Amino acid sequence: MLKFNTVLNGRPSAKEAASRIQQIVNGSAEREDVVLDFAGIEVLTPSYADELLRILRAKYGVDKVKTINTSEAVTETFNAVAALSKEAS
Amino acid sequence: MDIIFDTIYKIQSEVFHDHAVDLKRGTWLDPWAMGLVCLKAAEFKNQTNKQLILPSDANMLLYLKRMHLEQIFGEFTYKSFLKPLESIEINERENDNVCEIIHCIFRDELDARLGKINRMFLHFGLGEIEGSMTTSLVGELGNNVFDHNDGQWPTSVRGAIILAQVNPRQRRIEVVVADPGIGFKGSLAALSAPVKNDDLEAIKLGLSGVTGRIGEPRGQGLRIVQNWTINNFAGIVRIHSGSGLVIVDKNGLHAEPVFPIVGTLASFMVKYQ
Repeated sequence: MLKFNTVLNGRPSAKEAASRIQQIVNGSAEREDVVLDFAGIEVLTPSYADELLRILRAKYGVDKVKTINTSEAVTETFNAVAALSKEAS
Repeated sequence: MDIIFDTIYKIQSEVFHDHAVDLKRGTWLDPWAMGLVCLKAAEFKNQTNKQLILPSDANMLLYLKRMHLEQIFGEFTYKSFLKPLESIEINERENDNVCEIIHCIFRDELDARLGKINRMFLHFGLGEIEGSMTTSLVGELGNNVFDHNDGQWPTSVRGAIILAQVNPRQRRIEVVVADPGIGFKGSLAALSAPVKNDDLEAIKLGLSGVTGRIGEPRGQGLRIVQNWTINNFAGIVRIHSGSGLVIVDKNGLHAEPVFPIVGTLASFMVKYQ
């Protein structure tokens, strides 16, 4: 994810990143997981996290999309988004 | 005269009158009051009798200079009132605890500035986790400005105006995002049962996750701003939109009618270790 930016903010940027990730994955998700590496990410806003995961999970499935190397702050963002998504569903 | 959150709703008729932003007796402005000043200046921008009356207090002028007030008020066409500031020369590095007014006219500018805002929070004394989370909150409030106003800006001023101030003694940071847009009520007007004439009700709905972006899975941002500010940072969230003011803290929600503005002023105050 560091190749997109160190600060990941907003739904429009997340949509762009998701489109690019789909091109990079290019069919390999049938055999492998889609692993998003957050090493070096300084800021992840909830709207970016929500949009990115929503698009990729809809495309590849919840279990296929994984995150690694998340800092404590990035983990807080994912947790906050997951809690509100669970509440909404 | 301190022009701050605690006083501005009592002295507003002295500060904002006859299309004038009157800071003459001001000795201090906090980010909240500065946000209101920016929104009122945007509102008065196209009035032929508009005025900006700068304070007579030398320290206050220096402070406004350090906040780069003349830059944003120049954009708002108040240049002829800015001479007292233009003649002041300062060393920009004198006081790193004062953040200049950041006006992000387009979304890309907000994205680009967040890295700098994150570094500013680290400089203020926040740890890496606190700084990152606080920057996320700025991003969420800033995103809302563009998400809810693009295509609908009510005046010729657009974008997010961001202000921040650190109080090292109280270990407290206040961040304010001023939004010269359609406000909560305007944003929720697209709902099938729109909020007719009540800004307070609209703010409360927005804080609860109701969004005017119909059909899109949104509305989480303000809830996370509240949750993190109150639960992680023992802080306060304030929203002034139209003629409503809502304050949320650990004690609950307080709402009251106040003087009207065009747009929304949103702030969160965080305490840090």
